[in-house]
Amino acid sequence: MVSVGTIVWLSSELMFFAGLFAMYFTIRGVSHDLWAEKTTILNVPFATVNTLVLVISSVWCQLGVHAAEHGKAHRGDAKLFNVSSWGMREWYVLTYIFGAIFVSGQVLEYSELVHEGVTLASDAYGSVFYLTTGFHAMHVTGGLLAFLLIIGRTFTTRTYSHNQAAGAVVTSYYWHFVDVVWIALFATIYLLK
Amino acid sequence: MKVEYKLFMIVGAFFVPVGVIYGIVTDWAEPVGPVALLLAAGLGGMIAFYLWATARKLPARPEDDPAAHISEAEGEYGFFSPHSWWPLPLAAAASLCFLGLAVGWWLFIIGAVFGAVALIGWTFEYFTGDSAV
Repeated sequence: MVSVGTIVWLSSELMFFAGLFAMYFTIRGVSHDLWAEKTTILNVPFATVNTLVLVISSVWCQLGVHAAEHGKAHRGDAKLFNVSSWGMREWYVLTYIFGAIFVSGQVLEYSELVHEGVTLASDAYGSVFYLTTGFHAMHVTGGLLAFLLIIGRTFTTRTYSHNQAAGAVVTSYYWHFVDVVWIALFATIYLLK
Repeated sequence: MKVEYKLFMIVGAFFVPVGVIYGIVTDWAEPVGPVALLLAAGLGGMIAFYLWATARKLPARPEDDPAAHISEAEGEYGFFSPHSWWPLPLAAAASLCFLGLAVGWWLFIIGAVFGAVALIGWTFEYFTGDSAV
């Protein structure tokens, strides 16, 4: 029930990002010169590494889901470095760290672009760049908050119930969705230019 | 769950040719239409794929059997909150945050603090104490 609702909501999120993509392509279509000038400023290698961080975080997230589906909330008494004993909590913390690195990388990239004179108000390119990547970064941040809540829940109950696992699984749906949207955004902004 | 996923598959399958036709007619010079139409196909396809994948994992349901009896659908369907006050303060905090964007960041911060309390309250409402679900 929870998961069906999440998927239906995510499909509406897809249309939200469809609006952003349509906006990007429209403005790009009418201002070729601006794009030719501004896209040279983009730091593509940096963004590629950042993208990899986000994609890898999805892998950790899926390993957390695997643990959650097997009712393994945490590693118990095992040592932290005993990775095979990890439960949902440990994997989600690792996912959180990778997601946080991604958002921090975005912030660093923004600050560099602002130094280059590309801001939200500078020109049409700045507007669509920050709107598309900014709304995505807000989604990632929202996902990070969701991870905190899901991790927090494992501390407040004695047993790891089916409802807890369902919450963990739908959070992973959201995370994978945001990841896929970023791959599309990355291809559009950094590869197609 | 055949009916469910076929329903959404129709949505997905309908918008693919429509998006392509739109693109050809407009000479691919107008990007909003193809993006919106093809991603609308994604909207249907995503739900269809999920329902299809779930249907493969679940045994046949009485809903799929025209000759099923009502009693076959008995059993637990999941946990549903009987009532909760938390969405109300969360919505109030969210409106404070949005008002803060127009008025000033100080109001946004106040809204965010209330929002954090309400969000935690809502998420943990049924996950604490002896009656945790």
